[in-house]
Amino acid sequence: MSAADQIIVQIQTSKGLCVSPAWLNNFLSSSTQRNIPASALTKTALFRVLASDFRESLSRNSTSVLPNDVYDPNIRERRLQGPIPVQILDIEDIGASLWSQVEAIERVERGESIRGREIVRTINVGEDAEAAENNGTGATGNTNSSGTSGSGAHRLTLQDSAGTKVVAIEMQRIEGLTLDKLSIGAKFLLRGVIVARGMLLLDPGCATLLGGKIEALDKPWKDGRKARLLEKISAMEAEETTSNSVRSR
Amino acid sequence: MARKILCVAEKPAIARAVATHLSGGSFQTHAIRGNPYVKNYEFNFNFGGSWGDCTVTMTSVIGHLTGLDFERQYKGWMSCPPSALFEAPVHEDVDKDKLPIAENIRTQAQYSKALFIWTDCDREGEHIGAEVRNQAKNGNARIEVKRAKFSNTERAHVLQAARQPVELDEYQANAVAARIELDLRIGAAFTRLQTLQLQAVVSVLKDKIISYGSCQFPTLGFVVDRYLRVQNFKPETFWAIKVTLKREGKTVNFLWRRVHLFDRAAVTMMLERCLIAKEARVTKVNKKPKSKWRPLPLTTVDLQMMGSRFLRMDSQTIMKIAEGLYTKGYISYPRTETDQFDKAIDLKKLVEKQFPDSAWGQYARDLIDGKFRTPRSGRNNDQAHPPIHPVAWVSPNQLNANEKKVYEFVARRFLACCSEDAKGQGTEIEIKYGDEFFHANGLIVLERNYLDVYVYDKWESSQQLPNFEKDETFQPTEANISEGKTTAPNYLTEPELIGLMDANGIGTDATMAEHIAKVKDREYVVPNKRGTGRNAVEELIPTRLGIALVEGYDNVVAGLPNSISLSKPFLRKEMELRMLEICAGTKSRQDVVQQSLDMYREVFIHTQRRIEMLKVACRKYLVEEAA
Repeated sequence: MSAADQIIVQIQTSKGLCVSPAWLNNFLSSSTQRNIPASALTKTALFRVLASDFRESLSRNSTSVLPNDVYDPNIRERRLQGPIPVQILDIEDIGASLWSQVEAIERVERGESIRGREIVRTINVGEDAEAAENNGTGATGNTNSSGTSGSGAHRLTLQDSAGTKVVAIEMQRIEGLTLDKLSIGAKFLLRGVIVARGMLLLDPGCATLLGGKIEALDKPWKDGRKARLLEKISAMEAEETTSNSVRSR
Repeated sequence: MARKILCVAEKPAIARAVATHLSGGSFQTHAIRGNPYVKNYEFNFNFGGSWGDCTVTMTSVIGHLTGLDFERQYKGWMSCPPSALFEAPVHEDVDKDKLPIAENIRTQAQYSKALFIWTDCDREGEHIGAEVRNQAKNGNARIEVKRAKFSNTERAHVLQAARQPVELDEYQANAVAARIELDLRIGAAFTRLQTLQLQAVVSVLKDKIISYGSCQFPTLGFVVDRYLRVQNFKPETFWAIKVTLKREGKTVNFLWRRVHLFDRAAVTMMLERCLIAKEARVTKVNKKPKSKWRPLPLTTVDLQMMGSRFLRMDSQTIMKIAEGLYTKGYISYPRTETDQFDKAIDLKKLVEKQFPDSAWGQYARDLIDGKFRTPRSGRNNDQAHPPIHPVAWVSPNQLNANEKKVYEFVARRFLACCSEDAKGQGTEIEIKYGDEFFHANGLIVLERNYLDVYVYDKWESSQQLPNFEKDETFQPTEANISEGKTTAPNYLTEPELIGLMDANGIGTDATMAEHIAKVKDREYVVPNKRGTGRNAVEELIPTRLGIALVEGYDNVVAGLPNSISLSKPFLRKEMELRMLEICAGTKSRQDVVQQSLDMYREVFIHTQRRIEMLKVACRKYLVEEAA
């Protein structure tokens, strides 16, 4: 077995990813150092795979990609055996209002996330913190209207190695899936995932987070996040105005 | 020379109250020349210890004796560049209207062996004590100086304080001196700078002094911050799944664990999966005792917050009334951060004093008859004063309407502290329906306990839940999607503002109300009534000028590394922390003044350089938008 074949097998068994030989050979020939131990080379290769675009680095077969009509909202439920490797193109918190997320970004912009520079902006008048906890009137038990439910739930846009995109909903908390920890281009491996009405239902049982990121996507995504949120808000407002004017007619 | 002791209190009323207790009611009153309020009370008292039997002259000052100001050549607004005020020489002088009072102390000191200071036991009081001491030493360089430690003007407490004098706390006096110097320099420098610059660009400001204060501005900052949050708010639609079940003639509404989501398609999909599952399964049936805790002992901040919420008075009014009640000997000193009672205090005796009251006297009796509980202890202790509590009962007929309200609050709060928590039985039912979890909570209040006297807290039984068994399954009567919209926060109210100032380290408990009154006085903030009748709330709205100043100062430092806007609490908070270091003796007054001046000088230089930002903001709000 050639070194390349060995690496392919190892990544296949450890991570369930089927690396494309052409991509791997390209990687091996571009690495200038010689005599690197095989284990180290495999590690580097895996790191590169996770930092790559899956559309380039993986080979495909019929079970490792999403069906073409995966987005079809008419299909109530089906299960995809997989394993299907996917990368994250977008992540949103649907448990928090867009506006509350804009406000949070602005707090960071103003330097209020620095330790010692935090500003307390809301206060529960009339109850000490301890008692509020005991009496269940603290922030957690409180269904406030400011736009955060605190329970998160993320909506992701995922892409498989064939380039097919799909929306996924985090149905149960997945460790490491948070807006500030996860990068765009991070990889998931899906096994036996359920698709309902065109949405993938993610839970720790079917979605394994492999990590990684695609630098070229991640930075512009982060830099443009506030602008996108604001854009969505104005789009929503515009829609509201038109639907109201239709109604009033 | 006969042993003569000169006693000096902070206010005439305290002097009279202490004189009454020490003399047993028989004293001679002498007017002093030049001031109609201050009186000298003469009597005999046995201090015990080395002093023994003495003749006493009890007098008072009226707050601070001296003021700090720049030398004459710096007093004119055009006399020097405002930045010079960071270094310009300052001097301390007896205020003109206090000269007769100072003279009285010097004269009395000449005939006295010792000076016994009875100013209020807090930082300001310590500094006023030092001022009194300086005057007394001017009159009699060899006079011995002692200080009374007291927190209310109840008789036994005063007698004890008279017989156990302590030393004046120089550290605390120095902290106040540092604060006075910083407030003068920083306040004058920024006030002159912004007034001169802004008067020139906006005609409506032509004759206005635009004052700056290092507490005022962050206070204004909170009001503006909230105002802009309300103004900029964008409502958004959210969706939730609501599950209801009719059982035993009751309708149970189950609430979604996710509360609500902002994605309709996702919620629709989730509901469908619930409906497909048909049956919900009970995953938890928790019955546990619940309690609602009695409140903590009362601090100044709490008195102001709760007071302005329940008694419908602004915080400054509440503090004035509370001080009056203290001076008359009905409640303990109302400026305290302490929310724990010292073990040495005989709380039951204080409860007994409330027996005569027609409204809560019976409740007090019940406490003594077995229901008394030791109060909860909070985390704060200023080592100077106990929590605010009633020291004597007063008949409501002797109080005016506002006094009555404040006294009643202090008394009820104290009795509540000494009571048992309210007890109840809580039931929590959790169900799993499809992939989703829902819950329903029930509460039965079993014993109201402290709630009976503390009418300000509400805790009521909910609708009773039908019976559920764990793991039983049922088909919900109804499951559907409900829609709602996020709503903007409310404008800031005064109790909230006090809470925010406290949480962010702005001002001390004693000064917060003043700062709020000041931003109103300066017309940076106007109070506005929302709602009517009992539900009326007073909200704080910034004026155009208020918004312009905050936006201007924020823009002055925008983009500068590590520079903090004057509208934010950090600079002042750091200054307050340094005051504490002086009090603890870990930093000298000089060091703190220099460090704090350096901090503000940096912002001052930025402000001067980018003064255009302030001007632009003022033009924007006061010229363009006002047009």
